[in-house]
Amino acid sequence: MASDEILRTHLQELRRGTVVVASLVALQHPDYGYALLQRLTAHGFPVDANTLYPLLRRLEEQGLLTSEWNTEESRPRKFYRTSEAGEQMLRRLLDDLAAVQASLTALIEGAPR
Amino acid sequence: MTTLTDRYLAATLRSVPAARRAEIADELRASIADMVDGRAADGVDAVTAEREVLTELGNPAQLAARYSDRRLQLIGPQYYLAWQRLLILLVSSIPAVVGVLVGAIEATVSDNPGGAIGAGFSAAFNVAVQIAFWVTLVFAVLERVGTPLNLPEWTVDQLPDEPVERDVSRTDTCAAIVFLVLTIAFLPWQQFQRVIGDGDRLPILDPALWASWLPVLIAVLVAGIGLEIAKYRAGRWTWPLVGANAMLNLAFAVPASWLLLTDRLLNPDFVARFAWLRDGGVDLVARISVVVTVGITVWDVVDSAVKARRAAR
Repeated sequence: MASDEILRTHLQELRRGTVVVASLVALQHPDYGYALLQRLTAHGFPVDANTLYPLLRRLEEQGLLTSEWNTEESRPRKFYRTSEAGEQMLRRLLDDLAAVQASLTALIEGAPR
Repeated sequence: MTTLTDRYLAATLRSVPAARRAEIADELRASIADMVDGRAADGVDAVTAEREVLTELGNPAQLAARYSDRRLQLIGPQYYLAWQRLLILLVSSIPAVVGVLVGAIEATVSDNPGGAIGAGFSAAFNVAVQIAFWVTLVFAVLERVGTPLNLPEWTVDQLPDEPVERDVSRTDTCAAIVFLVLTIAFLPWQQFQRVIGDGDRLPILDPALWASWLPVLIAVLVAGIGLEIAKYRAGRWTWPLVGANAMLNLAFAVPASWLLLTDRLLNPDFVARFAWLRDGGVDLVARISVVVTVGITVWDVVDSAVKARRAAR
């Protein structure tokens, strides 16, 4: 169906930026790639592995995440955590998300601005 | 033993910057192992799980591009319009000019008119391919390097003067160009044709003309194609186009009529082959052809002038 395809594209567009926000929130508790993937999926943010792993590296390069190798367990894993800069950025993003929601609600209810 | 995962990692890391390769390798290997374990916990056997995980991660080249933040496109939206415009500008002008020049020069230095036309077309084609390749290569490099083009920003002042109401439709232009191309193609064809005459090669037009008037007529026809394109781009007849059209019409009709009336157009062997042509038919054919040629020429020039006047209002 063409309309299914269109819906899928629009949903994808709508969701694109929210993965970054969700990751910054979730990584306030340090975690490694696969575990984060599981948590995001469980909380209704389905994301592809081949999108998330490169994204984590990019956020780290932008200074929004810090990372640390954990070698205590049998398998060495890279743990990411939201940095101070990441926290600041997250607040701005959440404010904007709330603003979008508020604007939409106002638009839906037809309240004059 | 090399596992699928090893091969997948090797394929992915090949196109990741060397400085980050080792760390990405360690992390990706751990992630793949975690994903395989996750599936094994759901009761999938290890071999199938590994295949499924690697399939899910997808083409290694694509994953590597995501790691290195490379875009998978030859020319992106930043450069596309500039690339397209430059390419159209160059390919629509230079190959035709080069082709005509090469063809004309070849025709003057050799006795092989068919070969000259071939050389012209082949030169034009080669030039077009070269232009397309090099322009695209330069833009692809710009895209990779990320050079700013520093083109002036688009402004409303660049809008066309008026909404173009097309007097000249694409269909008309295409039909006219096809007709011109067929006419050009007819000239070499008639030289080598075996359809008329008993299976022998029997040129219809006098082969001696290849050294004199036929290249001129071909050049006029090629210029006619250029005129059609210019007319289509303008969207309507303008006075300069009317002038050019009148010149081209005269440049074709005058030599053609003169050749017809002085009995130099048709191949004497061709005339000799057919009794009714021999017995005065040639003069009749020539007269009718001249009248038709002059009629079409006058009508075409008047028609273009009328349309230009209407469009100018």
